Amino acid sequence: MFVQPKREKEIKPSQERQQRNTSLQQLGPKNILPLGYKCPRWPIFSPYSFSLKTPRSTLEQSRRDSRVRQTGERRDDDAMEAPQSSLRSALVFSFIAIAYLSLLVRSATLSSPELQILNAERRIDLTSHIIRVYLTLKVENTGAAPASEIFLAFPPAQVDHLAIVKAAATFGKKKKKSYLPLDVNPTDLPDAPNGAKCFSISLVSPLKTGESVTLEVLYILSHSLEPFPIEISQSESQLVYYHDSAIILSPYHIKHQTTFIKTSSPKVESFTRVEPSDRVGTELKYGPYEDRHSYSFSPIIVHFENNNPFAVVEELVREVEISHWGSLQVTERYKLVHAGARHKGVFSRLEYQHRPQFSGVSSFKHLLATLPPKVHSVYYRDEIGNISSSHLRTNSKKSELEIEPRYPLFGGWKATFVIGYGLPLQDFLFESPDGRRYLNFSFGCPLAETVVDKLTIKVVLPEGSKNPSAVVPFAVDQRIETSFSYLDVVGRTVVVLEKENVVPEHNSPFQVYYNFNPIFMVAEPLMLASVFFFFFIACVTYLHMDISIRK
Amino acid sequence: MQVVLGTLLASLVPVVGFNAVMTSEHFASFLVFIFIHVVAFAYYIKGLLSQKMFKVAVTLVASVGMVLCCAVVAVLIAMVASSPTKGWSGRSLSLLDPTYASKYIPIIASVSEHQPPTWPSYFMDINVLAFLVPAGITACFLPLSDASSFVILYIVTSVYFSGVMVRLMLVLAPAACILSGIALSEAFDVFTGSIKFQLPGISRNSQIDVRDTSSAGVVTQDDGVKTDKNEESLKERPSKKNKKKERENAEKALIKPPLEKRLLVLPLEASVISLLLLVLLGAFYVVHCVWAAAEAYSAPSIVLTSHTNNGLHVFDDFREAYAWLSHNTEVDDKVASWWDYGYQTTAMANRTVIVDNNTWNNTHIATVGTAMSSPEKAAWEIFHSLDVKYVLVVFGGLVGYPSDDINKFLWMVRIGGGVFPHIKEPDYLRDGQYRIDSQATPTMLNCLMYKLCYYRFVETDGQGFDRVRKTEIGKKHFKLTHFEEVFTTHHWMVRLYKLKPPKNRIRGKTKKSKTKASSTTGSKGSGKRNPWQ
Repeated sequence: MFVQPKREKEIKPSQERQQRNTSLQQLGPKNILPLGYKCPRWPIFSPYSFSLKTPRSTLEQSRRDSRVRQTGERRDDDAMEAPQSSLRSALVFSFIAIAYLSLLVRSATLSSPELQILNAERRIDLTSHIIRVYLTLKVENTGAAPASEIFLAFPPAQVDHLAIVKAAATFGKKKKKSYLPLDVNPTDLPDAPNGAKCFSISLVSPLKTGESVTLEVLYILSHSLEPFPIEISQSESQLVYYHDSAIILSPYHIKHQTTFIKTSSPKVESFTRVEPSDRVGTELKYGPYEDRHSYSFSPIIVHFENNNPFAVVEELVREVEISHWGSLQVTERYKLVHAGARHKGVFSRLEYQHRPQFSGVSSFKHLLATLPPKVHSVYYRDEIGNISSSHLRTNSKKSELEIEPRYPLFGGWKATFVIGYGLPLQDFLFESPDGRRYLNFSFGCPLAETVVDKLTIKVVLPEGSKNPSAVVPFAVDQRIETSFSYLDVVGRTVVVLEKENVVPEHNSPFQVYYNFNPIFMVAEPLMLASVFFFFFIACVTYLHMDISIRK
Repeated sequence: MQVVLGTLLASLVPVVGFNAVMTSEHFASFLVFIFIHVVAFAYYIKGLLSQKMFKVAVTLVASVGMVLCCAVVAVLIAMVASSPTKGWSGRSLSLLDPTYASKYIPIIASVSEHQPPTWPSYFMDINVLAFLVPAGITACFLPLSDASSFVILYIVTSVYFSGVMVRLMLVLAPAACILSGIALSEAFDVFTGSIKFQLPGISRNSQIDVRDTSSAGVVTQDDGVKTDKNEESLKERPSKKNKKKERENAEKALIKPPLEKRLLVLPLEASVISLLLLVLLGAFYVVHCVWAAAEAYSAPSIVLTSHTNNGLHVFDDFREAYAWLSHNTEVDDKVASWWDYGYQTTAMANRTVIVDNNTWNNTHIATVGTAMSSPEKAAWEIFHSLDVKYVLVVFGGLVGYPSDDINKFLWMVRIGGGVFPHIKEPDYLRDGQYRIDSQATPTMLNCLMYKLCYYRFVETDGQGFDRVRKTEIGKKHFKLTHFEEVFTTHHWMVRLYKLKPPKNRIRGKTKKSKTKASSTTGSKGSGKRNPWQ
């Protein structure tokens, strides 16, 4: 009597899974027709999406809504991302039509240098929740005028999640390849269709007619894996959607292109076929496609298993306090969340402890923070005291702090904690040739493989420092604040740097320059000493004074 | 003056307020206070007025005062008599009658601090003082003075109080210290005195001293320092006492000094060894005190540690659960747990609790106790009516943490039964024994506390062996219908359950009306029914 219901309970999720699987199998390869960008046959998706539509919850809806709210035009693109009904597919048709129209317009109006991409290879790495896309472009100038800029185009949905774009020109053959980093800046191309955003790569030397250059581009997307189903129970593994285009969105004509998508596990539930496309193990291959026009787009969806920790720091405040007496005190306040598919229903510690390979596979309980070497007095705590589960390993290169939150984090669960440590000042504070001092410290989050939604770095300069200026290799919001600590009179200048959507690739050094007169170092000790001195002087004078009226 | 100031300061504390004046416990001290002042005033007046005038004044004041006093006493008696406990709070009454609380107010008796202490706890808390105190009492009797009789009264009352409640060990501590100090000082006095007598060279000197001055104490002390270096550290303490003793000795010594001194003489070796032993005893006591302060008094009760072969193992389950609650539940969710964890939940998890360590509202605590000792459905209804979202239970059966909710459960039954009589303690006991194994009563095995604690416990080791109760649990496989497990900490010490939404209730309602009719009719007759049902 007692056993039976339990068995029922166990069977339930797998039954669900089976049903879903069968529905997918029914769709099967024979139902999934090849999708060309010219004629995407969206309706084949509709039975699938209908069958899964019900569990979609309000969160996703609101996300979708907010995305729509940003630009009206984006609705088209959205539909192309998550095709749900034939209505949406109709919208996609209209989008394709618009793309074509704009293409016509563009070719008519484009007077700038005529470029074309001879060969493009794109490798999309979906193994973690931070998506890294490596793009190799061979660009040729076919026009008359020399070109000094090359544009990259991104669909609007990706632009919102774009964390970083890096580009480098390659020289030389395979053996002695050398990379030359290039500047990348967001620009607006007037003829970009449907809110596609462009980035311009400035070449070091303009590309002359008939010449070609090979570019390596790395761009990183965060929050672009959409968990589906959006809520999973403890025993299920996490499945996610990835939306992209089979054909590289580019303002140029691409002669030859291939896209490789590497998924985290060989378990791929489904993927959009755009012939020729193929899947081997964890790798999906789209292409090669020949002679695609500019701004071609062919939406694809990859639905696959990704159980990597979706560790997202919603808010991170790093406070770096400089003391010229020889130490640098860093305090980092984290608001951590598991941004994967939300945990649904029961959390059973029994299942979690006894069947770790089947239970809570998408959850995580360890985090690794890489701290600078020679770190001292490290602490790891939260509002209610020390968290006893952490290990610190130090060597001469780096320090590794392995931390465990108080409880394992399942989808949607949150945790807050504080990490603090001290560092020797001479490793981070230097004097520039013009006599100013500067702090050289690492931007970004020390936790490995995490996305930081909002990062605030506060550099608290010692009292009496003047003219602070920060040099950061990428765009950040800057402002100056004043904070007061013990015995401060005028307050300490605080340089506040804020950046959203920070990925581990942002862990590059930044500098804060300021003027500081060492006399301020002794201001506070002198103040204290003089207070005591005057107090004793007052005592002495009082004792030696005779203020009696009667002589 | 101190009485007035102390009372004023105490009444500033919100919890105390006017209780310091209004409750009967404090009348005695106030009456003594007033009496002393009246006497002092009388002496003052006596000094001011002449003999004749004083007599007139005495008759006047006495007659008026008597009338006033009678009036005040009458009012007081009337007030006191009007309250059922004669104005005494339950805690004080249980001091006078140790069985009072367990008979009438189980909530007071349920607190572990209010239990009578065991002998080991005496030894743990006051250690060697427990043996020195009797010696100190004897020493106080040798010359019974006002001061020593006060000390004797002090120790007797404090021993009685500490025997009633373990928390009143605090009252015993200063008394025990004083008496042990007296005992030690007497012992040192005797030992050093006999050493001094037998040492060649000084003996003649001291003989003269004894005859000349009678302040033997001071001399012996000086000699003691010379002879035994070890004593130096301890000499500091008894020296003050010695001065007092000195006076007493002086009186005795005046009468027959040489004879008495000779009677007290012990063999030299014995006294030296005894001195050394006493010093050692003191030293070990210091070691014990440091250890007790570190291990027993300073260790936080929510972070538990155990020493294993691999080193220190930390059981941080309470904070794990509280942190989970604070980060992963809605801000306005309410948590029900036994009241012991109320303040902790409020402070660490930042969630509203139904009952907390403030035990004024007995009915509320009884409601939670009733819910915990009811079957699942009835408990769900009680919790739902209180707008509870989560239920927290503490379970030590997996790691052997003895102060868990199953061990506290009988108190929940008693406290719940004190207000809602349909909860009866005998239903949970098999032949007067509290057990959770296969011999346990069906009421016990079906109550919410049992189910929440042992839910899926059998799957951990296959047998469901409870390491605190050292037995296999009675009911091993069962399902929860109205609650679902949402969190269990690493060592299973804290288990959190969520009330399933009322959706289930509609299905259960039709069934419930039937079961309710059958199950609750029995309790209906008992007058006070559970209002939540």
